[in-house]
Formats: sequence, C-alpha cells, structure tokens
Amino acid sequence: MSFSRVLFAAALFVLLELSAFAAEPPRETIARAVLAPDTSTRRDLISSLAGKGDEDLAALLDAWRVAPLYVYESEITGRVAVQLVGPKDGNGAQDAIRVDDGSPLVDAAGTPLRLVDSTLASVRITTPLRAAIKSVLDLLDLNSPVASRRIDAIKTLGFSQDTEKEPLLRERLDTETDSKVRIALREAIALIHLASADKDTRLAALGELRELHTLSSYGLLESTFRDAQASGDTAIAEAARVAIRAVDSHRAKVDFLGTLFRGVSLGSILLVVALGLAITFGLMGVINMAHGEMIAVGAYTTYVVQNLFGAGLVIPFFGMNLGLPGMNLQGWGYQTYFIFALPVSFLAAAVVGIGLERSVIQFLYRRPLESLLATWGVSLVLQQIFRLMFGANNVQVSSPSYLSGNWTIDDVTLGWNRVFVIGFAILLVFGVWLVLTKTPLGLLIRAVMQNRRMAACMGVRTERVNMLTFGLGSGLAGLAGAFVSQINNVGPALGQSYIVDSFMVVVVGGVGNVLGTVISALGIGAIDNVFQQYLPAWVTEAGAIPWIGNFLQNLGQDSAVFGKILVLAGIILFLQWRPAGIFVTRSRNLEG
Amino acid sequence: MTTPSTPPSPAPAAKSPFSDRRLRTELSIVGIVAVLLLVVFPLLNAWGVVSNFQLQLWGKYLSYALLAISVDLLWGYTGLLSLGQGLFFALGGYMHGMYLMRMIGELGQYKMPIPDFLVFLGWTELPSFWKPFDSFAFAMLMVLLVPGLLAYGFGYLAFRSRIKGVYFSILTQALTYAAMTLFFRNNLLMGGNNGFTDFKFVLGHSLVDPEQGPATMRGLFIATGITLLLVYGLCRWLSTTKFGLVQRAIRDGENRVLFSGYASAHFKLFIFVLSALIAGIGGALYTPQAGIINPEEMKPANSLEAVVWVAVGGRGTLLGPILGAVGVNWLKSWATRAYPDLWLIILGGLFILVVLFLPGGLVSLPKRLAALWRKLRGGDKTPDTAPSPAPSATKS
Repeated sequence: MSFSRVLFAAALFVLLELSAFAAEPPRETIARAVLAPDTSTRRDLISSLAGKGDEDLAALLDAWRVAPLYVYESEITGRVAVQLVGPKDGNGAQDAIRVDDGSPLVDAAGTPLRLVDSTLASVRITTPLRAAIKSVLDLLDLNSPVASRRIDAIKTLGFSQDTEKEPLLRERLDTETDSKVRIALREAIALIHLASADKDTRLAALGELRELHTLSSYGLLESTFRDAQASGDTAIAEAARVAIRAVDSHRAKVDFLGTLFRGVSLGSILLVVALGLAITFGLMGVINMAHGEMIAVGAYTTYVVQNLFGAGLVIPFFGMNLGLPGMNLQGWGYQTYFIFALPVSFLAAAVVGIGLERSVIQFLYRRPLESLLATWGVSLVLQQIFRLMFGANNVQVSSPSYLSGNWTIDDVTLGWNRVFVIGFAILLVFGVWLVLTKTPLGLLIRAVMQNRRMAACMGVRTERVNMLTFGLGSGLAGLAGAFVSQINNVGPALGQSYIVDSFMVVVVGGVGNVLGTVISALGIGAIDNVFQQYLPAWVTEAGAIPWIGNFLQNLGQDSAVFGKILVLAGIILFLQWRPAGIFVTRSRNLEG
Repeated sequence: MTTPSTPPSPAPAAKSPFSDRRLRTELSIVGIVAVLLLVVFPLLNAWGVVSNFQLQLWGKYLSYALLAISVDLLWGYTGLLSLGQGLFFALGGYMHGMYLMRMIGELGQYKMPIPDFLVFLGWTELPSFWKPFDSFAFAMLMVLLVPGLLAYGFGYLAFRSRIKGVYFSILTQALTYAAMTLFFRNNLLMGGNNGFTDFKFVLGHSLVDPEQGPATMRGLFIATGITLLLVYGLCRWLSTTKFGLVQRAIRDGENRVLFSGYASAHFKLFIFVLSALIAGIGGALYTPQAGIINPEEMKPANSLEAVVWVAVGGRGTLLGPILGAVGVNWLKSWATRAYPDLWLIILGGLFILVVLFLPGGLVSLPKRLAALWRKLRGGDKTPDTAPSPAPSATKS
C-alpha cells in the first residue's frame, strides 16, 4: 500500500518535473540559449520557442535584435545571462536585468547591480539566429489575444508559402474561434498548398481559394495562373482562372457596396445641408440665398467654441478687438468641444436667422423672387462680415479623435466620420419630423403654411410662427455648418459651395415635403458617387465613339466634375418628367 | 404667393403700351446720351482729356449694360428671373476669346503656333475644334450660335415642362454652376482657371501697341455703344408690337394667356434665346476690352449681380438696366478702391434697400419724388397715380 503510494508519488513527481520542463518559461530558454556554447545550439533552442511565448518574450527578442545580451559571471550567481537597460551613467554602467526571470540582477546583499557593457562577454545576433528569431516572432503573434495581430501574422506566414509552417497553422485552425481569423488561416494554408509540388493539393488549394475569394490572394492567384499557362498545365490554369473570377466578382461587390456607402454618406451631407432649406424654402416659400451663410455661421461658431475650449481667440470687428478667454483644456476634455458646439451652432444660426426674418424677409413673403434678391444682398454682407471677423483665409477646425478612424466589414471600409454623418442625418430628420408632427409649434407651422389667412382667423399669431419657423430652418443650417466644419474648409465662401446643391435637393424632392428632401438627397448623393466610381471605365469605352470620343475621354479624367455635371443634367431631365419634384403638393389653386 | 399681382408702376396702362410724352422724353434722353457716349467721349479720349483706362472701363460698363438688358428682357418684361445670363455672356466672351487667342499667333510666351496653355498641357498641334476659330466670321457665328443653342435646348426643356418662377431661377443657376465647374477644368481645353488673356490683335488691329492700341480700343468702345443702341432700339420696338404685349401678359398672368389660346412656351423660348444672344454679344464685346475671359465670369454670383443692376436701375424699363449696369459698376470701381473692405457690404446693403424701399429702381425715383412733392404740398388730389409700393410681376 505504502509502496504503491510512494510509487505513485514518484510517478507524479516525474510527471510534474517533465511537464515543468516542457513548460519551461520562454525566458529561461533564451537564457540557456545565451549561455549555450555555439550558434547551432542557440538556434535550436530559440526555434523550440515557436508557437509559445507572449508580449514580454517578443519585447526581449526585439531588444536582442537591436543590442546584444551579455553573460555575467560571479561567485554568488554563477554564469547568468543579463540584459543591460536604461541610460548609461558616468562610468558607462547600466541596470542589469536577468534574462531568465526578468528580475534585476542583485548581489549577495540584495542590492541591484550596475554593470558596464565592455567588461562583459556579449552574445550578438548572427544571421541564422536572426532568421530563427524572426520566425519565432512571426509565430508569436499567432497567440496574440488581439485578432488583428493574429491575422497579420497568419497572412505573413501564408504569403511566405513556407511549407514548414503549415502544421502550425493547421493546429491553430483547430482551436481558433474567431471567424475572421479562421478565414485568414484557411487562406494561408491554401496559399502554402499552392506552392506544393503535388498537383491534387494545388487543385484543392485553388478550390479553397475560390471559395474564400479573399482580395489578398489575388496576386498569388494571378502568378499561379500565368505559370500554369506557361507550363501548359490546363487543369491548374482553369482552376486558377475560376478562383480569380471569384475574387473579381467579390471585388466588384465590395466596390459597389463601398460606392453605395459613400453615396449614402454624401447624400446624408446633402440632406443635412438642405434640411434647413426644406423648411425655409419648402414650407415657407422664402428663397433664402443667405442659407449658405447660415451654414457658415454654424461652422464659425464651431470654430469659436473650439477655441473657447482651447487657447482662446481674439476677434477683430470694425476696429474693436473682442477677446475671448480659452479654458486651455487638453485631451478628452478638449475633444468634447464638438458636442457642445452642436447646440451652440444651432442657437447662433437661429438667432441670426430670426434677425434676418424680422429685418428683411417679413416684408417679402408675397414676393418670392424679390426675397431671393434681398437675401442675396444679405449673403454678401454676411460674407464680408465673416472676412472682417475671421480673416479671408480658412480657419482651422480640428476633428475630434472619435470622428476619425475606420471600420471594416467584409472588405468594405467605412470611415467613422461618414458613419457619423449618416447617423447624424437620421437623428436630424427624425427630430424635424417630431417637431413638425408632434409638437404644438409644428401644428402651427403646418397650419400657417397651408393657409395663412385661415390660420390668422383662427387666432394663430402668424407673424410669430413665421419668425420661429425661419429660426428653426436657420438653426438646422447652423447644425449642418457645425458638421460641415469637420469635412470641409471653413472660410468666408463656405456657404457658396453648398447653396446650389441644397436648392437642387429641395427642388427635386418637391417643395413642402421633408420626405421628398430625404429621398432626393440620398438619390443625388448615390448617383453622384456611382458616376465618380464608374465614369472613368465607361468613358474609356466611349473612346470608340467617332468624333466626340476623344473629347469625352479627355473629360472623363475629371470624373468628379464630369459626374456632377451629369447629375445636374439628369436633374433637369428629371424635372421634365416630374416638374414639381418627387412629391407634389396637390392643390386646387391654379397658381399653386 | 397666390395673390394676383399688381401691375408694375413703370409699365404703362393697358390701352397704349406707353404714353407718347414719356416715350418722347425717353428717346430724347437716349439721343443726348448716345451722342455724348459715341461721339464726345471717344473724341475726348483722342484729345487726351479722358484716359485710356477710363475709356476701357466705360467700354466694359457698356458691355455689362447689354447683359443687364438681356436680364431685364426676361425678368422685367416676361417675369422670368434667369440667374444664368452670366453664362451666356461668358460663352459669347469665350467664343470671341478663342478667335483672339488664335490671333496671338507665335507671339505667346512659348513662341509656338498654338496658344500657350495648350503648349503647357503638352499639346503639339491644335485640337480640331479650335481650328475654325482662325476665322473671325466663324467666331462671330459661334458667339451667336453657342449661347443661342444652349438657351434653346435648356429653354425648350424648361418651358415645355412649365418650369417657372423660382424653379426656373434655381435651374438656370445650377446650369451656370455646372458650366463654371466644367470651364475650370484644364481638360476642356479652354484655358482652365486662367481662361484666355494676353490678346494681341483683333481683325489685324493691335490691342497693345502704344500707338495703335488706344485707337483700337476707341473703335471697340464705339462698336459697343452702337450695339447697345441697336439692342435698345430693337427691344423698344419689340415692346410696342403685339409680341411685346403678349410678353408682358405672360408676366402678369400666364394662365390667362394660356386660356386665351397663346402658346406661352413658344413666346418664352423666343425671348430666352433672344436674351441669350444679346448677352453673348455683350460678352464678345467685353472680352477684348477687358483683356481677359475666365471661368470667374460664370460664377453664379456674377449672374446675380447682373440682376442687381437691373433691380437698382429699374426693371420693366429699358433705361433702367443700362443706368443700373453703368451706375453700379461705376460705384463698384470707386468703392473697391476707396473702401476695399466694405465694398461687399455696400453692394449687399444697396441691394437690400432697393428691394425693400425702391422696388421700381432708380428710374422710378423722379416719379416717386414728384408724388412725394405733391403730397407735401397737401394738394394730393390724385392718389391713384401714386406708384404702387410693390410692382410685383412675379408668381411663385
């Protein structure tokens, strides 16, 4: 009984010992490698680390690639591998770290030792060691907790087409749970198989790649196709061609979705910019040519708020200098300025709008063409005021960090600011819809817009409703300005670049209908982007058209401008079909 | 916006298009001014009293007056506010500019037989569509054809689908904007954002030679003045015809015109093309006198500014636009030098004030002052003759 217990204990001990050895900390392996007598032993030891280790190990190996490790010998410690870190002092001594456990090297008394590198035997990296370290580091990332780093490591292995790494990848595939990483693993394995000598393996690999149709495999597939054709291997060539076609169609899909996304985001910008106009022009019938300047008011307000959060600002105005103290915030505190800028921009533009309505527009409700002219005069005055206050050049508005960056779904890259503008547009439309349909003000607005006299007879103070409606429309323009400051230059002429587009959106959408504005903004944005994306290809084909072919090709190089012109031409033709826009407000009134 | 509009004050009563007395006054004013501008002013220049710079400046004002008449013909007489007349003006200017560019010959910076900007873009021979512009006659034909055809195409589509009022304004503005972005591109082979400049000769006469240049400029100035006079006469005559009557009827009540059996779209199309031709001719005269034509001329703001001239001068009249174009541009030349920072505020403010307080423009000022004078004297027996505050000929 006791014997068997002893035996069991002994067996257990051996097992533990073995497993302890098997699970020897990577640092100790490196320490042994440093102390090893020759390069080949070192290489074997380092190579044995493949697939193990962590960030700490990576840092150590990286450090070794730059600076040598050293061997320290003393009575107390014996031979120890050390790493010298930190700045050198006057004697040239540095802190010493034990390679085997990462702790500081201490003498008998326990005080940390400082060593001079020239007094120690150094172990430098040689070419075979460098290769071994690189492959260890490559594989190290395979175990990284961050999926994107795993994918990078896997892709590197795949493109190297190193047959030796294939079993490791296979092993990883069995345990990997992240779907993106799994795809990368399968791709890498297939790419490695592609380099194999066995024809069936290569065919299977091509089948796998066709199924995966990753964009990154395109280059290797193409070279495989060319090689196979050159060597007359029809089966491989055909399989490669099929796989290339699969990647091509995937790429077309990605391009299309990307275009669609960019189109929707451009449409959202148009929508945000035109929404205020949909109220002042669409509902009230006022042609506000100063709408663009309302947008600029919002953008400049954002600029001022940003400076209030930062270093402050001095605004010269007609000889006076208006000094605004800044709060000198840093980091996140500074970046929240944008959140505060939104409501402030709304209010600033709304106040300017109400002022405009009281001083000019209220006299011109029955003369829409003349309101066009008077508000254009206002826009000139405002532009010049911007110039006097903020200078003729563009001002700097910084983007908060939460508005930059990307998001990739199935190879389609979504920029954060674009995602943000879409979300912003949705919120804004929803807000406007709420205000117009669910609030007492909205009810009054609609009543006055439908029949001013009747509403007045029912006791609605139409003057006040006009003022508030115009303020709302202008405030929305101000919000748009705050947003536009993130994607465009902020300067005195900012408004001019949006005014034509905004009017187009409202005209196409149909006057007096916010839903029409939404549809037309998104439609115009999407079509514009489709032209930008595909026009160059179409125009290349147009070269065959006699006489004007060359001319078209020439123009097609400016697909952005040419596309915009086509969109405008399309709008004119569209209005042939629906002269009053997408949604017509029906009325029995002859002149309506 | 659906209220019936009151007839514009400068517009005559229904029976006769305009009273004989008024016509006589107007014609005598025109006669005196014409003699002053066409004979006296160039003579003063030849004698050295008026500087060449002033002559050139006034030549530009008169070209702008043609643009203003084209705006007024549409807006004041037909009720169509076009915000795209600057486009036709610039197109006329560009067509003439192409001829002028060819006349530079090998005197350009690069000493090449093709225009400098083409050399700069890497061309070694003339693009095919440039070739006919060696001929002055062809260029003049294009000055008429290009704005005319564009106006015909756009007008046909717009009037056929009964686009009017504000929609028409916005679409013409969009058209101008599109053309401007197009002309800013180098690939259009029309000089990109620099446009055409450095002209040397027109019809063999030097524009820059210190000896011959001023005489050529005087010739251009007189040509502009005569053209303006002819266009004025044509429009004056047109306004007395039945056509002119229908035109004004469209302005005041298009539906009634339609119900009376007139195809108003055809009338509008004719007027639109005619005014595009006038604007184009104005542009063609402008280019050699200004010495440059570039896409800046197509900016939507320029077309709007032309509308300002008409509004300030007085729309629905023929003297008004001329007065407005010359007056506002003179003010601009003066103010941009005297108050460069405030010029836009002056222009914008002037515009707001005219729209709000003087809807009839400057030409209605004597009449309003007379009415005010009568009122002050207390013997206001004929309140009906006082100008209506809002000569609105517009519908939305």
